[in-house]
Amino acid sequence: MSTAHVLLGLLAGGPRHGYDLKRAHDDRLPRAKPLAYGQVYATLGRLERDGLVTEAVQDREGGPDRTSYEITDEGRDHLDTWLSAVEPPAPYVASELFSKVVVALLAADAGRARDYLVAQRAAHMGRMRELTTEKSEPGASVGDVVAADYAIGHLDADLRWLQTTLARVADLQKEVTS
Amino acid sequence: MSALLSGTGLIRNYGATPALRGIDLEVGAGEIVAVTGPSGCGKSTLLHCLAGILRVDDGTVTYRDQDIGLWSEAARSRLRRTEFGVLFQFGQLVPELTAVENVALPLLLAGTGRREARQTALDWLDRLGVADSAEQRPGTMSGGEQQRCATARALVTVPRVLFADEPTGALDVLTGEQVLGQIVRVAREQGTAVVLVTHEASVAAYADREIALLDGAVDPTGLGLGVTL
Amino acid sequence: MKASTLARLAVAGNRTDVLRTVLTALSALLATIAMLCAATVLSITGWAGRYTATLLVEPGLRPGVAATLVLVSLPVLALAGQCIRLGAPARDRRLAAIRLAGATPGEAVLIATAETAVASLLGSVTGLVAYLVARAAIGEQHTLPTDVRPPAPVIVLLVLLVPVLAAAIGALLMRRVIVTPLGVVRRVRKRGPRPWPGLLIAAGLVLFALPVQDRFETRIHPSKNLTYVFLGGGVLLTMAGVVLGVGWISYFTGRLLRRYGRGAATLLAGQRLITDPWNGSRTMAALLAAVIAGSVALGYKALLATNFRYYDFYNQVMGSPNDEGIGAGAEPSFYFNAIRLVMVAVGLSAAVAAAGLLIALVESVVARRRAYASLTATGVPRRTLSAAILWQTLTPLVPALLLAIAAGDALVRLIQTDFDLGSAYRECVADAGPRADCRTLAALHLPTVLHVPVPWGDLGLLGAGALLAVLVAVGAGLLVLRSSTDLEELRVG
Repeated sequence: MSTAHVLLGLLAGGPRHGYDLKRAHDDRLPRAKPLAYGQVYATLGRLERDGLVTEAVQDREGGPDRTSYEITDEGRDHLDTWLSAVEPPAPYVASELFSKVVVALLAADAGRARDYLVAQRAAHMGRMRELTTEKSEPGASVGDVVAADYAIGHLDADLRWLQTTLARVADLQKEVTS
Repeated sequence: MSALLSGTGLIRNYGATPALRGIDLEVGAGEIVAVTGPSGCGKSTLLHCLAGILRVDDGTVTYRDQDIGLWSEAARSRLRRTEFGVLFQFGQLVPELTAVENVALPLLLAGTGRREARQTALDWLDRLGVADSAEQRPGTMSGGEQQRCATARALVTVPRVLFADEPTGALDVLTGEQVLGQIVRVAREQGTAVVLVTHEASVAAYADREIALLDGAVDPTGLGLGVTL
Repeated sequence: MKASTLARLAVAGNRTDVLRTVLTALSALLATIAMLCAATVLSITGWAGRYTATLLVEPGLRPGVAATLVLVSLPVLALAGQCIRLGAPARDRRLAAIRLAGATPGEAVLIATAETAVASLLGSVTGLVAYLVARAAIGEQHTLPTDVRPPAPVIVLLVLLVPVLAAAIGALLMRRVIVTPLGVVRRVRKRGPRPWPGLLIAAGLVLFALPVQDRFETRIHPSKNLTYVFLGGGVLLTMAGVVLGVGWISYFTGRLLRRYGRGAATLLAGQRLITDPWNGSRTMAALLAAVIAGSVALGYKALLATNFRYYDFYNQVMGSPNDEGIGAGAEPSFYFNAIRLVMVAVGLSAAVAAAGLLIALVESVVARRRAYASLTATGVPRRTLSAAILWQTLTPLVPALLLAIAAGDALVRLIQTDFDLGSAYRECVADAGPRADCRTLAALHLPTVLHVPVPWGDLGLLGAGALLAVLVAVGAGLLVLRSSTDLEELRVG
């Protein structure tokens, strides 16, 4: 994901220290991979070079972790432009699941394919159950729920596609054998 | 420990068409079981048979170690106002009664006093977030409010078993979550067993386990197709 | 279920239910008043010379008056029964929802009949109040028996009888309706109705004919009351037979319409008759009973007229002056006035029955309004729908009316069809005087046998009147159809 834009977004609320930014990132995006400090400073450096952020107040001796960064006007414009742009629906399908299902249906023997599909569905349902429980927990934050919804939605879409593909393949086979 | 509610070898036909072809299922206290499958697979029929609304043609439905198939229609009706709660997708509320009267109805039928029944009903309406519509008739409420009202009615008797048939089918996602959340809460806190019929995987994900049906029989694969690959 | 819960569930309803309650109460009110009047008449004791109307004075005539009043209340009760079916689909759905919430089947029927019982009780109590108020308002006079009151227990009994009867009718009508938690189903017959009511008609005729047979009188020596029981029973059985026979007539005409009819209207009508053949029995019962009563009255009038002619001829032959000789107990005009009163009662009953038919028609149109609206939307002209309703109502009605008129007249003809003038004087009539000559009846230009005519004209008027009443009712009902096929009905909710 675009770390630079996330940091800009976090700074839009006010100046923050470097270590603060890492913590905020991990809190707000709990399902994402945690950000490494090195990555934070590297990104901040790039942003500063591009004039999108600037150092705010030098705290004591200085050093990156003690430096407070704030967003510039160009930074705000850049953020606005990014937020206004629509994500192009991905033209290419790149998914391990997709490849495996296709291969299972077309290349593997019937029993093997069925075993794989049953197992895959069970795994999907299990994960969906976990996610549902997590988001229903009393202490869940909005970020938790939103992230869980996203994952559940995609898992649901996978399952639907799985079911439809099986039906199509079955129809095809009927056509071929009849 | 035997299950709270179980069905063994359930068979049910509609005229010449078989709807259930020998189904075994068990639900324990506090457990949420999802019954899934494509439309026409017999999920609703199974629910109606387990709740004692329909009689099975063969097989036994056992509730607390009693065969409710042997009970009279009147006795099975009384279950619905004491120990069973039913929540359907549509058409449960009495249009000519107000919301609070609808929710209090099972209690009133069971002989509870009016004031007490009304208070309990208001409590449950509040828990479902529709206390403001208490004196309105269902016709003047939105679909989401109606369904929450129906949920309150299903839960007002603190049932031991809740039968829910596509309870969120006509609802938007957030209202549906509220209803499902309430169902999960009663299962966890009050030990209510839940039989949840749905064709959506995201709703089935609220359950502890899933039983998939296909053409009136249990489908162990859950893939929803009877065809061979 | 507590009483308060039952009360709340019984009165829960929308506009149609309020209408139903009001109509039921109204019918109960009228029926109660009629029955209280009948009881008042029966409470007069002995020879009540203080009244001006002979019908009230003579103790032998008062039961007849009371019976007529009770008979008038019957179509009103039938109207109440008709009202029970108003708004039935919505009420059935309500009962199904209440069953889903945990009511037993018995409780569901109880709720439905409680509504009828409460409405009827309201009506009957109001009827009692109206009766008492009218009595006090009319005060002392000699035309109406306002000085007599039926004993208090009888009054209470009558006021309670009407709601009990209405509830019983309601329960009876619900016996085919199975209210399940998932909805309401009506038990449907697989085969059509059979013509066994014909047997009932025959049985009624036989029962009626028995008391007037000589052999019966000599063998059994029936008391007057027993004779009345036989006669009354015969009439009731015949009426029941005709009313139930409409079911078979509807089914049969339905099949004819479907087989031989051209066009959508006859197809729709025929199919509806086949699916619900008892609809005609229900809606036309009161009208047919009134027509039978009218036909009996008209046939009896013809009988009486012939009887008076017989007396006149007899007296003429015997040479008796006007005031002596044989004759009826009173002036002919007395009897004809009584017949006229009965015909007025019949006319009222027929009007009430036609109102009941209108209500039934309106209810069935309103219940199907969505189906009608979608038919109109897909292009079926309203003309066709109206024509279907006309076919459906009139094709069983005409044979049923003919049957009712024929049955009524047949009953009277069983009493007597001929007056044999020459029975004592085969050919010869002798003078009373000393130089008696033999004269034949033919020489006197008198017939030997007087035949009781079938009053074709009167009966024709009766039939035409009934038909007209139905046409007016159907016409009014079709106006409702016009507003029901409004496309607004297709909107959901």
